[in-house]
Amino acid sequence: MIKPERSRNYQNRIQDALLKPNLQETLGKFADAYVLAREAAFAGQDFEALRDSIAEIKDEVRNNLPKYLEEFTTNAEAAGAKVFLAKTAEDANRYILDLARARGVKKIVKSKSMASEETHLNRALIEAGVDVLETDLGEWIVQLAGERPSHMVLPAIHMVKEEVAELFSKATGRTESAEIPHLVRVAREQLRQAYLDADLGITGANAAIAETGGLALVTNEGNARLTSTLPKIHVALVGIEKLVPTLEDAHNIINVLPKNATGQLITSYISWIRGAVPCGDAAKELHIVLLDNGRSALAESAVCRDALRCIKCGACANVCPVYQIVGGHVFGHVYISAIGIILTAFFHGLDNAAELVKACIGCRACVAVCPSKIDLESIILHLREVLGEEEGIGTGKSLVFKKIMRNRKLFHGMLRAASLLQKPVTRGERSIRHLPLFFSGLTEWRTLPAIADKPLRDLWNTLPQKLEKPRYRVAFFAGCLNDFVYPELGQDLVKVLNHMNVDVSFPLEQNCCGVPALYSGDRETATALAKQNIDAMLQSAPDFVITTCPTCTMSLQRDFLDLLKENPEWTSKAQQLSAITMDISRFIVDELDGSSAFAGVADLSSVTYHDSCHLKRGAGVWQQPRELLERSGHTLAEMAHSDRCCGFGGSYSFTGHPEIARRILADKIRDIETSQADCVAMDCPGCLMQIKGGLEKQEKPIRAAHTIELLAEALRKTKFED
Amino acid sequence: MDDFIAALTKVNGCCEQVADIGAAAAYIARHSDGPLLLPPQPSLLRIGLREELVRAGLPVIDNDWRAQAPTADSGITGANFAIAATGSIVLDSTQEAVRLASTLPERHFVLLDPAKILPEATDGIPIVRRIHQETPQTYLAYITGPSRTADIERVLTIGVHGPAELHILLLPGLSDDPMES
Repeated sequence: MIKPERSRNYQNRIQDALLKPNLQETLGKFADAYVLAREAAFAGQDFEALRDSIAEIKDEVRNNLPKYLEEFTTNAEAAGAKVFLAKTAEDANRYILDLARARGVKKIVKSKSMASEETHLNRALIEAGVDVLETDLGEWIVQLAGERPSHMVLPAIHMVKEEVAELFSKATGRTESAEIPHLVRVAREQLRQAYLDADLGITGANAAIAETGGLALVTNEGNARLTSTLPKIHVALVGIEKLVPTLEDAHNIINVLPKNATGQLITSYISWIRGAVPCGDAAKELHIVLLDNGRSALAESAVCRDALRCIKCGACANVCPVYQIVGGHVFGHVYISAIGIILTAFFHGLDNAAELVKACIGCRACVAVCPSKIDLESIILHLREVLGEEEGIGTGKSLVFKKIMRNRKLFHGMLRAASLLQKPVTRGERSIRHLPLFFSGLTEWRTLPAIADKPLRDLWNTLPQKLEKPRYRVAFFAGCLNDFVYPELGQDLVKVLNHMNVDVSFPLEQNCCGVPALYSGDRETATALAKQNIDAMLQSAPDFVITTCPTCTMSLQRDFLDLLKENPEWTSKAQQLSAITMDISRFIVDELDGSSAFAGVADLSSVTYHDSCHLKRGAGVWQQPRELLERSGHTLAEMAHSDRCCGFGGSYSFTGHPEIARRILADKIRDIETSQADCVAMDCPGCLMQIKGGLEKQEKPIRAAHTIELLAEALRKTKFED
Repeated sequence: MDDFIAALTKVNGCCEQVADIGAAAAYIARHSDGPLLLPPQPSLLRIGLREELVRAGLPVIDNDWRAQAPTADSGITGANFAIAATGSIVLDSTQEAVRLASTLPERHFVLLDPAKILPEATDGIPIVRRIHQETPQTYLAYITGPSRTADIERVLTIGVHGPAELHILLLPGLSDDPMES
């Protein structure tokens, strides 16, 4: 599809999803229940160790695929199965269709198989005149609706019971009431005869075990057991990434799968099927179709190959704030959510993934729960770069990144000019409440902060620092928002660190950290900015580089290393910078052991804390700011979903997906309000801009502040006043 | 055994400790409502369950499985072993009759010797391996509670395609051999 048309279609689908009644409520309710159920399911277990083991099993198979393929095939065929390796989706479909024709098959029953969704098997069979019936309840519902599953584990999660009742009424010709037990009963009765009549049953598999040549199938409803028992022919369509070496490996995966998928300890049924088992008076005809369809290509990609570890649990959707707003029909192609973006790129082509790649807000919630330890966000960023190179990133963005941002003086000069140009809309205030004409959408749901009259870099020399024997000398990496929008945060930082006897410098050559360019797919600009910043920050040989923005922290700590990994000279500099970079709360608590220095300085007020995505799931910092807030005298009133994204996501909330960002923010504001705190604290100027903007626009009497701002304010009010 | 019962109850399974074969037959009589599929299970044959059920006046089906299974009310099987941590029973279902009895009817009754209960899932893997080694074709089922779904609005509903009731009867002295069911 050509790009403008593709983008338009995609934007239309987003709008449709936003208008769909109940969708956000249904998905939100599930997300809340899921988090609790999952926690209970893993109680007493070491999730990190479990996922290390799954990653190891999957990598072992990926690295030695021919060996395990051969072992599996030999053992399966010795037990009477026939194994076919399908290079492409078409090969798989053709094999199954040829088999169906050769055996005169008229009716097929199927249990849930994502691989068959991937190959569009139903369509191929139905076009050839074969009757195909999905028997998994959710799959049957979406089949009746003419849709595709919107979740890998819960195909019909986007529907309410009334919609299901309507579909079932059409199928039975009666009026079926919208009561769930009744609807389940209808499915049982309607599908029962189909199992008995079918000539062929199709299933997927959760593991193909090389040691035995057998398959393991995990189900709750019992439909896969019927599908693999009653018809005389059984076809299992299985992705080659499902191979595992041993029975123990299969057990390890099956132990984690239901817990991570829905918070269920174990599914009702686990079936271990090997070979041509008895069927009536004869032996069952078992065909195992092993599907490659892009998996070998994925294994070749050093950056993306970890995606092959996926066990299809769907957890990345369950915790995704974007999924919770738009659902899997928008945020997915066949495979959905974060893993879906990557698998779509390899199984269905980059073109089908191009819009989805932009839909990720980068909050890393999925990375935290992935049972196979896939760094989904990094792979998605890489795909964005590939697309940026292939399709371009848009002329506007390209001009800004390449011509302006890389030239620090020009970029900063333009920001200064913008500070003057905005006067007519700010009317001298610090927040922009309305924007004229076609920009008005941007301030419809949040105010935007004005660019400060004077950036931090111009104020720096006016900040007195009189430390005689400082404990450390640190350099401050401010980031654009801190420098140009919230310069007072820099002053607060100096106040707080001086109080701890730490001297702070501001290297003037520092530039944007490069994240906006990198996240838009412009690696070249990000690399140029990395070099500028490394030189700037290391110049005065500081003991530490301190940040107030966790996205900048991740850029300096992690992304620069990756951007410069091909270049040995720069690699060592990047490592040097990475090793001494940290955010302010961690520096105070972990390096200075300094939370006691703030004991009781603040007036007692109730504060709730918002965990910024990149601080908690990037830098691993979440206890430290809470410790600072509590020690300084605030009471902490935890909000629900404190670590769910606020919807900022940089340009995501401006030009990419403002309507999604707006709804994610609305949920956040609701959680903040429910906590009944007077103030919401956070450690990220991006989140601050988003949350403050939302609170102001809705005229909520709740303050939003950076933790450092609260600490500095408390110091100013106490005996530590200069 | 306590752990097994607790875990099974949590997943909506029923568990009853029975003293002897007569008590087992009486329990099945109370909880079934129609033809009983009784596939040839070594442990059940040995203790004469069929005779006991017939004596109790219950309609037992022990042939022509394919034709009779769709209208049967219940299926009765033994078990190779069970897992306390999850409340699961593990049943070699390679014989088609065992599969039909444990998938199609509304109810599934399982007679299990409590001596076969292992603490954790991992304890069962060596047995699963032995079963694979000793039978050229294998259909092995882990069964944990009745058939369930949450596909409509995430509401847990019991009894979709498989049995809506799972009754485990704990009968000491039945068989402690995990290679037979």
